[in-house]
Amino acid sequence: MTDTALEAAALGKRFRRRWALRDCTFRLPAGRVCAVVGPNGAGKSTLLALAAGLLAPEDGTVTVLGTDPASARARVGYVAQDKPLYPQLTVAETLRTGADLNPGRWDAAAAERIAAGGDLDPKARVRSLSGGQRTRVALALALAKRPELLLLDEPMADLDPLARHELMGVLMVQAAQHGTTIVMSSHVVAELEGSCDHLLLIGDGRVRLAGEIDDLLAAHTRVSGPAQGSLGDHTVVESRTTGRQLTALIRPTGPLSDDWRASMPTLEELVLAHLRNPDAPALTPTQTPSPAESGSGAASGSASGSESESEETRA
Amino acid sequence: MTAVLSTTSAPAGTGRTMLRLHRTALIVWAVVFAGVSAALLWAYGPGASAAADEWRRLCLNGTDVCQWGPGLERYNRVYALAEYAIALLPSLVAAWAGAALIGRELEQGTAQLAWTQGVSPARWLAAKLAVPAALLTAGTAVLVLLHRLVFEAQAAPMNWSWYDDDTFAANGPLAIVWPLAALALGALAGLLLRRSLPALVAALVAIWGTSLAVGLATPRLWPWETRTGTLRTGYPGGTVDVIFGGQGALTSTGARIADPMCRDDAQCLADHDVTGYFTDFHPASHFWPLQLIGTGLALAVAATAAATAFWLLRRRTR
Repeated sequence: MTDTALEAAALGKRFRRRWALRDCTFRLPAGRVCAVVGPNGAGKSTLLALAAGLLAPEDGTVTVLGTDPASARARVGYVAQDKPLYPQLTVAETLRTGADLNPGRWDAAAAERIAAGGDLDPKARVRSLSGGQRTRVALALALAKRPELLLLDEPMADLDPLARHELMGVLMVQAAQHGTTIVMSSHVVAELEGSCDHLLLIGDGRVRLAGEIDDLLAAHTRVSGPAQGSLGDHTVVESRTTGRQLTALIRPTGPLSDDWRASMPTLEELVLAHLRNPDAPALTPTQTPSPAESGSGAASGSASGSESESEETRA
Repeated sequence: MTAVLSTTSAPAGTGRTMLRLHRTALIVWAVVFAGVSAALLWAYGPGASAAADEWRRLCLNGTDVCQWGPGLERYNRVYALAEYAIALLPSLVAAWAGAALIGRELEQGTAQLAWTQGVSPARWLAAKLAVPAALLTAGTAVLVLLHRLVFEAQAAPMNWSWYDDDTFAANGPLAIVWPLAALALGALAGLLLRRSLPALVAALVAIWGTSLAVGLATPRLWPWETRTGTLRTGYPGGTVDVIFGGQGALTSTGARIADPMCRDDAQCLADHDVTGYFTDFHPASHFWPLQLIGTGLALAVAATAAATAFWLLRRRTR
């Protein structure tokens, strides 16, 4: 058993001329709930489809549960963004199909429990279901095969807040009970805050931030001070001046001078600052993971790993 | 443990899934098969005896001209309709395979659903092709046998000719392999275009194009029988109920030239050095060689299309 659930090395995928994902390198330890965040069209879906073995990469490799995506197929659950299901089947037939296609792994009781939670009539045709009910059936299919890694592409989009809350609960229970690694993408950061402990920020086909959310937050500081103040050689992700006041999000390289008032940024501030400033250097774990890592709260890579490459700052 | 389980018991599961997903197609095929079989069986039994009776009553009573009555008409029509249905099968299969079997699944993302439910894309495609192929082969084999029974029994001189395209195909393995080629071409079109409607159109164009090409090539791939005639007799006789190849004039050296249309003009014949005439044709005894050549070509089309489909899928996914 490997303690890495998902690892990408220089992963790239091109659609015709356009690179949907480029030079993507990161490592996700097993047992995490990871948020893949980025604007629409950033490459989130491409990354998840590559990990699920639905696409073949042009460049680099993706390692899933210690092997290639094709060999890991049986141990990976995946729910695509538009929750494709066979419209002509009933809910019960859909679940039976899942049992037929996952011999030896299928947990029929779990499938029925997840589907039944949505007040679903097993005899209802899939085409007659609401968005939330479809998501529930799709999740039941993905969860009942008892995946070790669950890939969810925008799972909560087009769900009302109540259904969203319910399904997030189902997922968290799964993660807690079975130690399933969950990777879910979203373009709404707030949706994932609180339930995720790992972040992968993708912008324009590249990894911008990767790591444990706590470490990422700790590596950044929000500072404010006089407009003419100098930020020295700290890495500046974003700065803006309002009158005589300058506020900035920085990655401190050492102690801050007393001119600055410092505070911890929120996850949303961190994400937005990086998305607004595509030229800010990426912060991703080093490629060689530290040996002391286990399933506990250890960082997936040192948060200071990429500071050597961050000469280019932006003010 | 799981690896062993998934390699041994997955095919049964994917096969069951196939039948569940394409229940409508299965029902349609069952109805078509039952209908055509019933028609042919009727034509072989009650239809044939009614037609034979009527023929004896209307046409063997010394009249020069005899008109078919309702019995003969019905016999002929049922036979022709059944044959037409068999001839239509490849088009139906191609359209279905391109649109419903593959194109729609890729369009709606349900193929990707199957691929993340523990079925590898290659195994998915294999099930998609194998299950319909088995059902089609079983059905068309019976239809061909029934069609042959009716054709050979021919209760009255109906002028059914062995070389008529639809008759020729329905009397042999061609009617079995063309639906299979259509299935493979449809699957390939679906995989290439990934949308149901364009795949439907492309599959139809592909099956019509290839069957036209194979139909044109087949008679040229088996040596023709040739008969010659002299200047006095003109074109050779005895060539009825055959597939015609080339015809023309022969010179004194034995060379074949286009008929200069001299008729009895001796000067013209001498100018062109015409000494006789020839006709190339396939007699009814060439039925089996021609059938087997066509079958081989259709199978080659099917195999190429299926192999390309698998290659495409393997290149695109992991």
